[in-house]
Amino acid sequence: MPREIITVQIGQCGNQMGSVFWQRLCAEHGISQDGTLEEWATEGGDRKDVFFYQADDEHYIPRAILMDLEPRVINNILAGPYASLYNPENIYTSKDGGGAGNNWAQGHQAGEKIYEDIFEMMDREAEGSDSLEAFMVMHSIAGGTGSGLGSFVLERLNDKYPKKLVQTYSVFPNNEELSDVVVQPYNSILTLKRLVNHADSVVVLDNAALTRIAGDRLNANFPSYDQTNQIVSTVMSASTTTLRYPGYMNNDLVGIIASLIPTPRCHFLMSSYTPFTGENVDKAKSIRKTTVLDVMRRLLQPKNRLVSTVPSKDSCYISILNIIQGDVDPTDVHQSLLRIRERQLANFIPWGPASIQVALARKSPYVSSSHRVSGLMLANHTSIASLFRRTLDQYDRLRKRNAFLEQYKKFKTFENGLEEFDDSRAVVEELVQEYKACESADYISYVRIYPPLSKGTSH
Amino acid sequence: MPAPVSSQLRTLIHQIVPASAGSPSLTRELVDHAQYFLDSYLGGAGQGGDLADLANLMQRHIMQTSSSSTPSLRLNNLLSRLYDQPALSRKHAILSFLYTLSQQSHPTSSRSTITNPPAASTRRNGPSPFNTSLDAPFPSAPNHNHRGTNGLPPRTDPAPGDPGLQSKAALLRAYRLRIGKSQVPLHVLLRDAVYLLQGISGHCVRFVTITTDTMEKEDRVEFVDTPEGSIPPPTRVLLHRLAELGHLHRLITAFLDDRSLSPSVGLVEQSLHHELRFQLTEYHKLIALLESHASRSKAGDDGGGLTLMRMEAWVGEWKLRLRLMSVLVEGSKNAHGGKLISLIHAHTKNGDPFIRDFSTQILEQVSKPFFTSLQAWLFSGSLSDPFGEFFVAPGKRNHGASDPDRPERDAVELEGGGISADEIDADFGGDIHRTWQEKWSFRAEMMPSFLNEAFGRKVYSTGRSLNFIRYNCHDVEWVAKQASDWTSKSLKYSDIAGLEQSIDAAYKVASQRLFEAFFVKYRLIDHLQALKAYLLCGYGDFHDLLMDSLSALLAKPANALYRHTLTTRLLDAIKGSNAQYDPPDVLRRLDARMLEYSHGEIGWDVFTLEYKVEPPIDTVIDPDAINSYLKLFNHLWKMRRVEGSLGAAWGRVTSGSRSVGRVPELQKDWHQVRIVMAEMIHFIRQMHAWCHREIIGAAWKDLVEFAQKQEGDLDALIEAHNKYLNQMVRKVMLHDSKRGHENNLATVRDIFNTILQFMESTDDFWRHTTHEAHIRDRQRDQVRGVHTALSLNARDTPASDETLAGILARTKEYSARFSQQVGNLVILLSSHADLDIRFLAVSLTGFGGFYSSRRDTTRG
Repeated sequence: MPREIITVQIGQCGNQMGSVFWQRLCAEHGISQDGTLEEWATEGGDRKDVFFYQADDEHYIPRAILMDLEPRVINNILAGPYASLYNPENIYTSKDGGGAGNNWAQGHQAGEKIYEDIFEMMDREAEGSDSLEAFMVMHSIAGGTGSGLGSFVLERLNDKYPKKLVQTYSVFPNNEELSDVVVQPYNSILTLKRLVNHADSVVVLDNAALTRIAGDRLNANFPSYDQTNQIVSTVMSASTTTLRYPGYMNNDLVGIIASLIPTPRCHFLMSSYTPFTGENVDKAKSIRKTTVLDVMRRLLQPKNRLVSTVPSKDSCYISILNIIQGDVDPTDVHQSLLRIRERQLANFIPWGPASIQVALARKSPYVSSSHRVSGLMLANHTSIASLFRRTLDQYDRLRKRNAFLEQYKKFKTFENGLEEFDDSRAVVEELVQEYKACESADYISYVRIYPPLSKGTSH
Repeated sequence: MPAPVSSQLRTLIHQIVPASAGSPSLTRELVDHAQYFLDSYLGGAGQGGDLADLANLMQRHIMQTSSSSTPSLRLNNLLSRLYDQPALSRKHAILSFLYTLSQQSHPTSSRSTITNPPAASTRRNGPSPFNTSLDAPFPSAPNHNHRGTNGLPPRTDPAPGDPGLQSKAALLRAYRLRIGKSQVPLHVLLRDAVYLLQGISGHCVRFVTITTDTMEKEDRVEFVDTPEGSIPPPTRVLLHRLAELGHLHRLITAFLDDRSLSPSVGLVEQSLHHELRFQLTEYHKLIALLESHASRSKAGDDGGGLTLMRMEAWVGEWKLRLRLMSVLVEGSKNAHGGKLISLIHAHTKNGDPFIRDFSTQILEQVSKPFFTSLQAWLFSGSLSDPFGEFFVAPGKRNHGASDPDRPERDAVELEGGGISADEIDADFGGDIHRTWQEKWSFRAEMMPSFLNEAFGRKVYSTGRSLNFIRYNCHDVEWVAKQASDWTSKSLKYSDIAGLEQSIDAAYKVASQRLFEAFFVKYRLIDHLQALKAYLLCGYGDFHDLLMDSLSALLAKPANALYRHTLTTRLLDAIKGSNAQYDPPDVLRRLDARMLEYSHGEIGWDVFTLEYKVEPPIDTVIDPDAINSYLKLFNHLWKMRRVEGSLGAAWGRVTSGSRSVGRVPELQKDWHQVRIVMAEMIHFIRQMHAWCHREIIGAAWKDLVEFAQKQEGDLDALIEAHNKYLNQMVRKVMLHDSKRGHENNLATVRDIFNTILQFMESTDDFWRHTTHEAHIRDRQRDQVRGVHTALSLNARDTPASDETLAGILARTKEYSARFSQQVGNLVILLSSHADLDIRFLAVSLTGFGGFYSSRRDTTRG
C-alpha cells in the first residue's frame, strides 16, 4: 500500500518535462525502455510503486497521464525509445490537433470538451492505486494548453479528489526577455489564479533562471529545451527521492509539504540544486569540492535557484527543506547547520520557529555520480512574490492597452465580460500582499483582504 | 763460637721436644738437623755482604721470573723506602730474609714447604740472640757440602711418623688427653657432619626440636659431650653452620612427606614437589661423595682429605639452594597454582646470578602444568585445571554451592578432586545469554607474574572465545582443527617471547573467528539493522503503513485489542512496504504485541513491536538491550504518531482550506490555528529528525565502524553495542543527570499530549466550520431554488455559537500551553550538559531564535 502519485503532463512543455523525468526515474530504478526490470537492478531499497505500477507481465508502467491538444510532442515521445513505456490508454492527443493557439481560454474551453476522455484516464489510474496520495501536474503557465487545459484540470481535480494533494511543477515564462507569445501575461495571470486556489503546492520553475543555470553551470550559451528539461528532471527526481527511497522520515508528500507550507496560499516553492554535473546533464562543468557545508551553502545562493526573484531587504524564508543525497556523515550536517546559523546566511520569518530542515536521502545505486554529496533545496521564500509582481506589471501594461483581448472574448469564459481577468488579477495581487505580510511578525493576525471564494470555481 | 751455638740449640731442642731430654741420640740428630738448616740458609746470605749486592740479586731474580717491568719497579720503590727507614737497624738481615723466602717458595723446593711452617715458626719464636748469631758462623756452600757428608740426606722428607714434627697437633691432643679435656676426633666429627647435612642427629651433635614461647616448633642444635671428648667452640660454630643445611633438609623433607599425602595438592605444587625431590636427590649424591671422603680420611688422623672446613666449602652452594627451596616450601603453604609460580618467578629476578639460575631452573619445571593448562585453554578453549590453579576459573554461576569468598582450594576439595571442563560446560547454570559474561571468571591473583595482565586478559579472552565458538556457536570442528594446528607449538617458560607471540596469534585467530561467527554465520549486522529499522522506526514506509492501519484500533481501550489483530496488521504492513524484502529470518522474529496494561489505558499506550533474538546473538543483544530498544520504540512511535496526525490535520485545515474558507468570519481563527500548527509541525519534525539524524545516525555510524574494524573480542563487541544503545537511550530520551533522568522526557510527553489535544479541538472546530459551510451552501441553494439532499437534516444538528466559543477557547488554551511548554523545554535543554541535546534546543528554536526572542519580549 504505497502512497501513489499520479503524474499529469499537459501541453508541449509539460510533456517534454515529463518525458525527461520518466527517463530519469527509469534510470534510477533500473527499469529499461520497455518497462522491464534490468537484470542488474537487484539492489532493493527503492519503492518503484509510488510512480510505477506493475502490469501482469512484469512490466513497470508509469502512473502517468499524457495530454496535449496538438500531437507533435507526444508523437515524438511515441516515436522515441521510451514509446512502449507508457500505457497507451493514458495518452490523450486532440483529434483535430489544432492546439490551443497560445490562448488560455481556448485551452480551458477544450478541457470542457474533452473532460470525459481525460477524467476517464484519471479515474482509472486513481482506482488502480491503493492509497493515492497526490497528483503531480507538469505544465507551463504561459502557453495555451499547459495553462488553459492545465487550469481546467486543476479545477476539476479539486472537485473530484478534494482530499488528494495536488502538486504542480509549473514553468514560468522568461519575463526578462521578449517572448514570441505576446499574451503570456494574460495566460499567466489566469493560470496563477488556479495555482493559488486549486493547487496545494507549486514548485516554481522559472525559464529565465533555467536558461541562466544552463548557461552558467553547463556552459551552454543557447541551451536547448532538452538541457533545461534535464535540470528540471534532476530537481523533480531529487524532490521525490525520499518518497522513492524510504527512510525514517519524509516518506509521504504530505509530510514534506506540511513542513514547507504553513498557510494555504503561500505555497509557491522555489528550488535550488547543486551540483549539476556531466552525468546529469551533457557538457556540465564538474564541481569537485563537495562537502555538506558547501552544498548547503550553495543551495542558499540565489544563483543556484531555479527561480529568478528580486528580493527586498525584508525578504525571508518561511521554510526550507534540504534533501541531501549521497554519502553524508550526520555530524557534518550538524556542523553545517551551526555554521549557517552562526553566519546568518538565511533569514527566517519572525512569527514562528523556522529552520533549515535536512533530510538525508539515498542515491540511486544505478546512477553513478562524480560527486560525493548533492543537494536539493525546496524553500518557501517571500521574494517569490516579486515574480508575481512582475507578471502583474506586465499584465497591467497589456491590459491598460486592452491589447489582444479579442482572442479571449471568443471563448465562453469571457463572452460576458472580462471579470475573470480582474478576479484573477485580484487573487494574484492578494497573494503578493500575503507574502509581504509574511515578512512581518504581525502575520499572526493577518486577515485576508479579498473575498476568499470566487464564483467561477464553485461548481 | 760453634759450641755456644750447639749448646743453645740443644737447650732449645730440649725445650721444644721434651722427649729428647732423655735421648742423646735424638738430641744429636735434631741438633745436626738444625745445624744443617742454619748452615744452608745463612750461607747464601753471608756472601752478599752489603745491601746493594743483595738488591741486585733480588732485581735479577725478579727479571728472571717476571716478564713485566712492574714488579722490579715496585721493588726499587720498596727498597728506596726501606733505605729511608731510620727505625729499622737491620736492613740487610730483613732483605736477606725476604730474599731467602722468595727462594724458598720456588717450586723446586716444594717438598720442604710441608715442613717449613714449624721451622719458620721456630725461627720466628726464637730468641733474638739466636738470630744475631745467625750471620757469621756458618758459611754457606762449603758447609752445606760438608753437612751432606754427615749422613743426613739433604732435603729428606721428615717422615710423617716423626714424633718431633707432627708433634704440634699430636702434642696438643696428648696434652688435652692428659688434662682430661680431650677433643672429639675429626673422623667422628666428619661422620656427624655428614649426618647433620641430612638432618639426622649424630653421635655428638644432635637436633632437638623445642617449642618456643610462641608455640612454634623449632630445631636447635645440641652438642653432646662424648667419651671421646668435647668439641671446641670454633668447631661448634663450624658444625652449627653445617647444621643449617640439615635443618633446611628436614624442613623440606617434612614438607614433602606431609604434602604428598594430601589429595588436594595442585599440579603446580606436585611438580614443585617433584623438582624438590629431584634436587634433594642431587644433594644426597653430594653427601654420598662427602661421606666416602670422610671415611677415607678416617684412616689418617687429619689426613690431607676432608675437614669440616672443606666440607663447608663443598656444601656452600647447596646451602643457598636449600635455603631457596625452603623459602619456596614455606611459600607454597600459602600460595597455590599461579600464585606459586609467581612466587618462584619473583626469585628469578634476584640479583645473585646463582639464585637466578637456580630458580629459573625450578620454574621451568614447576610451570609445566601451568603451560599444559594454558595450552588447553589457549588453543582449544577447554579448561583442564582440576585443582583450580589456572587464572581462569569457572564463573560463579557454575558453583551454586561454593562460596566465592572461600578459597578455591576448599571448593575443589569439597568436590573431591576438582571438576572437568566438560562438567562445567554441561552444568553451566546461569542464563544462556549471560554465558559469555558469567561462565568464566578471571583471577588476576593466579596470573603468573612472568605474563603481564594484558596478556592474561588476552589468554582469558581467547579461551572464552574458543569455548564460546564450540559450545554456543556449535563450531566444534573448527576449534578441534585449530587445536590440532597448534599442537606443534609447545609453550614453555624458557620461551616467553614465543609465548607472547603465540598468545597474540591465537587471540587474533579466535577473536576473528568469533566475529566471523557473529557477523557471517549469525548475521549480527542484519539483526542490528532490523532492530534499527523496526524498533527504532528506521523503515518509515513500514511504520507509516502500520500506523495508518492501526490508528483506529489503538484509540480503543487496551483490553479491546487482540493480539491476532495486531499480528495480522503487522503482516499487512510488511507486505505493503519495503520490509517485505528483508530476509525471512528477520521477519520471522518480528512481532507485535501489547505491553502489560492497567485500567484506562488505550491501545496507543500499550502497543509495541518486538524483535526476538536467540542464542548466541542474545549474548550481544541481551534482554536488557531489548528492553532499551522497546523503550526507544515507545518514544519514537509516539513521536511518529504525533507527526503523522499533524500531517493529516494539516491536510484538513491547510490544504483543505477551500471548504474551511467558505465561512469568512472564522478565517482569522483558522489562520491562527494554522500558525500554531506550523509551530507544532516544526517542533515535532525538528525533534524527529534530530533523533534519527543526530543521535541514531551518528551512533549507528560508530557501531558500523566498529563492525568493520572488528578489533578486540566479544567483550569489545558487547561494549560497542551497549555504548551504541546507551547513547541513544540517554539522548533520545533527553536524560538529564541534574534534574532526574525522566524529567525532560515527561515534559516532551506532555507536549505530545498537548499537541494531540490541540488537534482534537481543531477537529471539532473543523467539523463545526464545515457544518456551517454546508448550511450556507444550502441557504444559497434555497435562494437559487435548488433543493439538495443536505437540506433535509442539516438543521437537526445546529452548531450553536456557544460550542464554537468553547471549541475556540480550548484551541487557544492548548496553543498557549504548547507554546509555554516548548519554551520551557528549550530553556532547559539549552543548559543541558550534553552537546547534542543543546543542539536540539537550538534546532527547536529555529534559525530566528523564535523562543528566545519571545521569552525576552514576555519578560520585558
